[in-house]
Amino acid sequence: MKAGEIVDRIKKQLGVPWRDATYRDTFKSGGPDTEVTGIATSAFVTIDVIRKAAAAGLNMIIPHEDTFWNDRDDQAVVADDAVYQQKLALLTKHNIVVFRIHDHMHAQRPDFTYVGSARAIGLDPKHEDPPGSHRFVIPETTLAALAADITRHSGARALRVVGDPKARISRIRLGVGYASPPINPSDIDVLISGEQQESDGTFDSQPYALDAVTAGVVKGIILLGHTISEEAGMLEMAQWIKGFVPEIPVQLVKAEEPMWSPTSR
Amino acid sequence: MTQLSRREFAALAAGAAAAPFALTQTPAAAAALTARELLERITAQIGVTWKADTVDGLKVGDPSTVVTGVATTAMATLAVLQQAVKAGANVVISSQPTFYAKADTRTPPAPRGPGGGPPPAGPPAPPPPAGPPDAVFTAKNAFVDQHKLVVIRLHDHWKLREPDPQAVGLARAMGWTKHQVAGDPKRYDVAPLTVDALVGAIAKNLGAAGGIRVVGDPKTSVRKIGLLPGSTPLQASLKLMPEVDAIVAGEVREWESVEYARDQVAAGHKKALILIGRVLSEDPGMQACADWLKTVVPGVPVRHIAVGDPYWRPA
Repeated sequence: MKAGEIVDRIKKQLGVPWRDATYRDTFKSGGPDTEVTGIATSAFVTIDVIRKAAAAGLNMIIPHEDTFWNDRDDQAVVADDAVYQQKLALLTKHNIVVFRIHDHMHAQRPDFTYVGSARAIGLDPKHEDPPGSHRFVIPETTLAALAADITRHSGARALRVVGDPKARISRIRLGVGYASPPINPSDIDVLISGEQQESDGTFDSQPYALDAVTAGVVKGIILLGHTISEEAGMLEMAQWIKGFVPEIPVQLVKAEEPMWSPTSR
Repeated sequence: MTQLSRREFAALAAGAAAAPFALTQTPAAAAALTARELLERITAQIGVTWKADTVDGLKVGDPSTVVTGVATTAMATLAVLQQAVKAGANVVISSQPTFYAKADTRTPPAPRGPGGGPPPAGPPAPPPPAGPPDAVFTAKNAFVDQHKLVVIRLHDHWKLREPDPQAVGLARAMGWTKHQVAGDPKRYDVAPLTVDALVGAIAKNLGAAGGIRVVGDPKTSVRKIGLLPGSTPLQASLKLMPEVDAIVAGEVREWESVEYARDQVAAGHKKALILIGRVLSEDPGMQACADWLKTVVPGVPVRHIAVGDPYWRPA
């Protein structure tokens, strides 16, 4: 089966119109005519993921994020880099075709990144209020206990928290990936997100949470890291693709959390 | 102080009325300096052409406020403002915004619906319900007004000074000044140590709590260190990483430099990327700013107040 046929099926099954204007959801390596032996979904096309996919006999990688370390996957930006050359050689050697699914994954309903993220950190879907809102109301606990629970569930080694550990919280806003909704609305206590610019954004939730502690206002932010936040949903993505590409193997090949922190060792 | 502007001379003369012969620096003379004049002196002496499009400038307070003391900081958090007041400072020079956004306005931005990235193709999510006034904005505004504080942001121009004061400051905080690679304030060749030991030294010297995150093998030996304080794009890592064993950075995009560093390691290169957080990485540079400001406004008490590491990790 050719990669183009798989992409056509994805577009057909998506449930929302394909936006051709996307620069993200395109081929990054190989193309529609590449013959596919099997599919690996992942958060990132890391060198390690390429090796693992190739070892498993899978030569199509469908990542949520970029391949060449910049959002547009502009290869001119990295052309002079030695590791880029190594990565390119590896992709060529294993005849890897890469097709990114980002914008359309977020447009799809449900958005698997939220489904996977909630599962990865142990948020019970029955606590989502209202359903599909990404707002969860859980039995009251402390920010420290919630963060500890999330660490245990996700195995995250580089999770970071801002806020009063003793603050009693119950209302959670789940964000995914990068640039989540702001932390300040009065109907949420805690924002959980993947990655968030520390300052100079449209709303800086970490500094806000820091000042909330000083002002005695209950607010916390838990930053999971981009991969912990979004990779789990690539399992749902693999299962979904398997449903309409039954001819070849489809599986999640994890990029895994890239970072550790001194206290996690 | 060698060259006095007419306004500066007038300010000093006004001080001199209360304290004759005050042209030598006395507290009385210094007390006549306004926040506006302080900003003018910074603008004139920073050594970088002041840009039309900049986040720098007066963000909070009355420019005619007479300066009692100056505190520099990586970020004018409420806790930092409280410490500034305790220390007798009524002007805070901050590298980062005071009001939780690049726009840095004293009222919260208009709420937007949940979700990031492109707008969903389905029906739009309902906007968050309108709630009571934002308690954190209210508390910060009240504190600022009560103590008649002035906050000046100094970010764009400070980091453009040469040699890079953020890198120089960070290196000084780490005790690496004498190891600087000639002519490059971003590079330091230190006695070999493991990534693990380097991370420990950073945590100790910068007072890190939970904000340090690392890509790379803890046992990798490091001799050449590169510094990228603040927030930096992929291009900065692409340029520096091949020249060093480890980069110590403030903040990067995970899909850029973190993944690049991970691939460096996977490709067999003995490298590490150590992220310490934007605020933690910029405070040493704002200590350097305090040292510089003492020469700009001699006689005015100037001190640095560290924000500290905003982050913690569960035990």
